[in-house]
Amino acid sequence: MTTHLLPPAPPVERPRVLLVATSFAAAASFMLFVAALGVYLLARTEVIATGSAWLPQGVVIPLPQPNTIFMTLLLSVVTIQWAVNAIAHNDRQNAFLAFGLTLAMGAASIVMTTYLWTLMKLDVAGGVQGVLIYTITAGHMIMLIVAMVFVALMALRALGGQFDSRQHDGVTAAAIYWHTMVFVYALIWIIIYVTK
Amino acid sequence: MAITETREETGTDLAVASPLVPAPVSFLGTGEHTVVGVVYILASILFGVAGLVGWALTGIHGATGSFLSDSVAEQVFQTSALGLVLLVLVPLFLGIGTYVVPLQVGARTIAFPRAAAAGLWTWLLSSGLFIVAASIDGGFGGGRPEAVSLGLLSVLGLILALLLGTVCVLSTAIGLRAPGMTLDRVPMTTFALLAGGAVWVLTLPVLAANLLLMWVDLRYGDGSLSGSQGQFAQVAWILQQPQIYAFVVPGLGIVADVVATFTGTRLERRGLFLVGIGAFAVLGIGAWAQPVLFPDASEQLVWQVISVAQVLPVLLLLGGLATALRKGRPALRGALGLALVSMLVLLLAVVAGALLAITPLDLRGSGSAEVGQFALVVAAGLTMAAAGVAYWSPKMTGRMPSDAPAKLGTPLMLVGGVLAGASLVVAGFETKFSGIADLLDALTWISVVGAGILALGLVLALLGLLSGTRHGAAEAGADAWGTGQTLEWKYASPPGDHVLGDLPVVHSPEPLLDEEA
Repeated sequence: MTTHLLPPAPPVERPRVLLVATSFAAAASFMLFVAALGVYLLARTEVIATGSAWLPQGVVIPLPQPNTIFMTLLLSVVTIQWAVNAIAHNDRQNAFLAFGLTLAMGAASIVMTTYLWTLMKLDVAGGVQGVLIYTITAGHMIMLIVAMVFVALMALRALGGQFDSRQHDGVTAAAIYWHTMVFVYALIWIIIYVTK
Repeated sequence: MAITETREETGTDLAVASPLVPAPVSFLGTGEHTVVGVVYILASILFGVAGLVGWALTGIHGATGSFLSDSVAEQVFQTSALGLVLLVLVPLFLGIGTYVVPLQVGARTIAFPRAAAAGLWTWLLSSGLFIVAASIDGGFGGGRPEAVSLGLLSVLGLILALLLGTVCVLSTAIGLRAPGMTLDRVPMTTFALLAGGAVWVLTLPVLAANLLLMWVDLRYGDGSLSGSQGQFAQVAWILQQPQIYAFVVPGLGIVADVVATFTGTRLERRGLFLVGIGAFAVLGIGAWAQPVLFPDASEQLVWQVISVAQVLPVLLLLGGLATALRKGRPALRGALGLALVSMLVLLLAVVAGALLAITPLDLRGSGSAEVGQFALVVAAGLTMAAAGVAYWSPKMTGRMPSDAPAKLGTPLMLVGGVLAGASLVVAGFETKFSGIADLLDALTWISVVGAGILALGLVLALLGLLSGTRHGAAEAGADAWGTGQTLEWKYASPPGDHVLGDLPVVHSPEPLLDEEA
C-alpha cells in the first residue's frame, strides 16, 4: 500500500463559497422567471394575433402601483448596497439603518403588490391571462420574501458581530440575491405592466 | 450551524473508517458528504431498475397492443422516461459528485453540508410522491386532477432538491479547491460536474417554470394554458436532444478519470478534454428548443446544426481516450471496460441524434427514432455512472470489490443499450424502407429485451458496490488501484470525518503522480 505525502500548504484564505452558491441560486431564480415571461409573451402574441385584446374585458392594470413598486425596489438597491458598504467600513450604525430601510421597502412592495391585485379585478380562472399574471407576480413576491429573509438573517448575523470589514461575504451574498430580485421585477414591470 | 455555513475545518491527520451507510440514527441526521452521496447512488440505482422495468412494460404493450390499457401505458411510459432523468441519471451523477468532488478538490467537507442533506431528503420524499401520484392516475394527463396536481408538485420538489444538491457540489468545486488547483487543474470528474451542473442550474428552472404554470392552471385556472393532453408535451423537451445530453455530461469526466487511472498515464492534451466536455455541455443547453413554445424548433437550422455538431466533442474525447490507451498500459478492470463501452454507446446516441436532424430522412415523423435516441443517451449515462461506481467503490466501502460484476456488466450494458435504443432508431426508418414497417413489432420486442438487459447491468453495478462490504474482502488502501492520480486517492478508504491535516499544494492536474516523481 502506497502512502502519498504531499507538502503542506501555507495557511490560506478560504474562498467565498456563500457568494458562489448565491450566484448560482440567483441565476436559477432568474432563469425561472425568464422562462415564465417567455411563456407569457408567447401567449400574449398568440391572443393578439387573433385580433383580440390581451386583457379580458373589464380588466384594467393600473400603472401607478407598478411604478411605485419599481421605484421602491430601485431605491432598495441603493440601500442594500449602502449596507454592504457600511459593513465593509465597519460602520455598524449605518449598516443597520440600511438593512432596516431595505426590509421596510421590501415590505412596502409586498403591500403594494397585494393592493394592485385587488385593483386589477383579474379572475385567475378566467383564462390564460390570469394564470400567467398571478403566477409570475406571486412568484416574484415569493422571491422578494426569500430575499428579505436572507437580508434579515445576514442583518442578525451582523448584529451578532459575525461580519466586519475583513469578512462580509454574507451581506454581499444577500445583496447579490436582492439585486437579482429587483432586476427580475424590472423585466416584469416592462413586460406585464408597461407593454400590456 | 446555519444552513448557509460551511463547517469549520478542524482537520486531524487521522482517517477514521466508516461503513458504506452508517447506523440509521446517524444516517438520518448526517450532513456528511460521503453518506449523502452513497444514499443518492443506492436509491437512484434502485429507481433505475424500476424505471427500466416500466420502460420494458410499455414496450411489451407497444408490441402486443393489449398488455395494458392505452392510457396506463402512456402514463407508465411518461413516468418512466421522466423518472430515468430526474430519479436516476441526475441524482446518480449528483451522488457520485457529492461523494467524490470534495475529495478530488482537497476539501474536507462539501460546502453547505446541511443543505446537501436537505436536498437528498427532499429528493427522496419527492421521488416517493412522484411514484405515488403516478400510480393513482396522476401522471401527465392523468384522470384524477388531485393526483395530477400532486404529481406536478412532486416534480417541482425533485427539481428544487436536485438544484440544491447541485449548487452545493458546484460551490465546493469552485470555492473549496486546494491551493494551486486552478480550474484547469481540477480532476476531470469535477470539471465535468462543473460544466454539466452549471447547465442544470440554468435549464432545470425553465422546466420548473413550465410545471409551475401548469400546476396553477390545473389547480386554479380553466386549463386553457396546457390542457391535459398538452402537459407532457410541455416537459418533453428535457427528454429530447439537445437537452438530454446535458444530463450525461458528468459521465464524460468519470470516463476520463477512469481511463487515466487504469492506463497509468497522464492524459495528453488535457486542454482538449476540457474543451470537449465544455462544448458537449454548452451544446446540451436545450431549454430554448421547447416544442410547445416553438413547434418548429427541430426544423430550424440552428437546432439541426447543434444536433450534428454534438458529434464533434464526442469524437474529440474518443480520440484523446484512444491516445491514452495506446500510450499507457491498460489494466483490464471492469470499470475501464464500462467506461469505454459507455463512450461507444454515447457515440451511437449522438450519431442517431445527427440522423434525426437530417430532414430528408424523415426520422422525426414517427417518434420511434427520438425515443430510441433517448434510450441510447440514457444507456450511455447509466454505463458511465456504473463505471464511476465500480471505480470509486473501494473508496466508498474501504475494501476491494469483486471485479466480476463490472466485467460481466460491461457487455451487458453495451448489448442492452444498443438493443434498447438502436432498434427503435431503426424503426424510425419505416417511412423510408417498406420492409421495416413489417418488423416494427420485432424491433419493439428487441428494445424490451435491451431494457431488461440494461436493468440487469444496473443490478450488477449495485452488486459490485455491495461486494466491497462482504467479509473477507481485501482492505483497500488509500490508493486502492495503485495508480491513482487525483487527490481522492490520497485519503484513507473510506475517508473519515476529517481526512487531511494540512491542505496539499497542487502543482498539476495529477498531484499524486507529482509526488511519486
